[in-house]
Amino acid sequence: MADVLTPTSVADAISMLGAHPGAHLVAGGTDVMLDLRTGRSHADSLIDLSRLSSQLSGIRAEGGRWRIGAMTTIRALEDDRELARQAPAIGEAATVLGSPQIRTMATIGGNLAHGTPSAEMPPPLLVHDASVELVGADGTRTIPLADLFVGPGRTSMRRPEILTAVVCDATDGGCGSVYLRQTVRWAMDLAGVGVAASVRVVDGRIETARIALGAVHPVPLLVPLASAVVVGHSYDPGLAREAGRLAAEACTPITDARGSSDYRRRVVAALVPRALRIAWLRATGQFTADRAPINGVLNEEGR
Amino acid sequence: MRLELTINGDPVRRDVAPDSVLLSVLRDDLQMVGTKWGCMTGDCGACTVLVDGSPVVSCLQLAAQVGGHSVTTIEGVAERGVLDQVQAAFVRNGAAQCGFCTPGMIMAVEALLDRHPGPVDEPLVRKELEGNLCRCTGYNKIIDAVLEVADLRAGDRACEHGHGGEPLTS
Repeated sequence: MADVLTPTSVADAISMLGAHPGAHLVAGGTDVMLDLRTGRSHADSLIDLSRLSSQLSGIRAEGGRWRIGAMTTIRALEDDRELARQAPAIGEAATVLGSPQIRTMATIGGNLAHGTPSAEMPPPLLVHDASVELVGADGTRTIPLADLFVGPGRTSMRRPEILTAVVCDATDGGCGSVYLRQTVRWAMDLAGVGVAASVRVVDGRIETARIALGAVHPVPLLVPLASAVVVGHSYDPGLAREAGRLAAEACTPITDARGSSDYRRRVVAALVPRALRIAWLRATGQFTADRAPINGVLNEEGR
Repeated sequence: MRLELTINGDPVRRDVAPDSVLLSVLRDDLQMVGTKWGCMTGDCGACTVLVDGSPVVSCLQLAAQVGGHSVTTIEGVAERGVLDQVQAAFVRNGAAQCGFCTPGMIMAVEALLDRHPGPVDEPLVRKELEGNLCRCTGYNKIIDAVLEVADLRAGDRACEHGHGGEPLTS
């Protein structure tokens, strides 16, 4: 039976984590409690972070960037209208994560720090150029989100560090982003494939583009070789397909209950062009809905 | 560990195992067995309760985290044995068959209707109930029941605003 420790400050939590080598942090608990129940992990004690939620929650615009506290729930991300407008991929991923019950409990910090390759939030955050703030005994360091992920369930956090915030780009008029995914079920399922894309359009041409993949590699993966193909041009279906082909080549999906490796590569090749198209349509004001269809298939009116 | 919280409006104090989940506190420590023990992995929603009005799967909810908070379970929905609007609509619409998913389903519906006090349509109901599985009656009757309650509440609001007793039609 694990003891529960209840820190009331980040400094408290760090010293508890340092003093208890067998302790696990519990934010929303939707991953940790499940892992403990199913025997995937063991904890001598649990450090309950819920008393830190007032300090570590909130979605704020700060100098053209979004700052999202680690204890912000997925539900809060789903409900934030301004975030949906300025970083639509993030809102879209939040909307399809788990279920209302899971979204109420789960936090963005937990979703990232758990290191799940198929987690919903990393791809949209990666295409919004996210960094994470890690606070340890010796102070705070900020690292690119891509550097947080080391392997399935493994991150570059150095115990007793705690992830306290995510900072990412807010987009303005010429930008667009989107998150698409393939799942076996529409709810309560991890992505079989997750694809996020963002583009910045200047004078009718794509100036920067990012594509990130979930569930098809040991870590959530940015694929710069694929996104580079569309840079310097206006949206072009042939170039978007080429980007999809390169993205499918760059990832190394496993075969499991959610699909074979080959199938997942084909889904990546199909979803990347759709994602690039919707990101382009958003950046150029031709697609204004808060949420794109999750499979990226637009109807004839382009909605 | 001493756990103090409010359940269905009543203060509760209880010594519980520190790593208990809320579901086992409700069912094993408090013998409140209305909340169902389903998959125990957060997938089926049968154990849904409200914490401060928001739905959670109590099978994954660390009980220690709800100390000082207010929990509503299916036992707290009917008042003095009179079914509330949602429960009554489930009965009228045949929205329960074996009944195992019903307590969690009702709690998810209560949360849905609180979250969306205005008009609701079928896609929204399906989306907001995506975390609750039913393995026998199917979802159509459940959705009918929810839409009926939403209509009733719209009618109630119309009455409050002086439109007379008839539900508003668009």
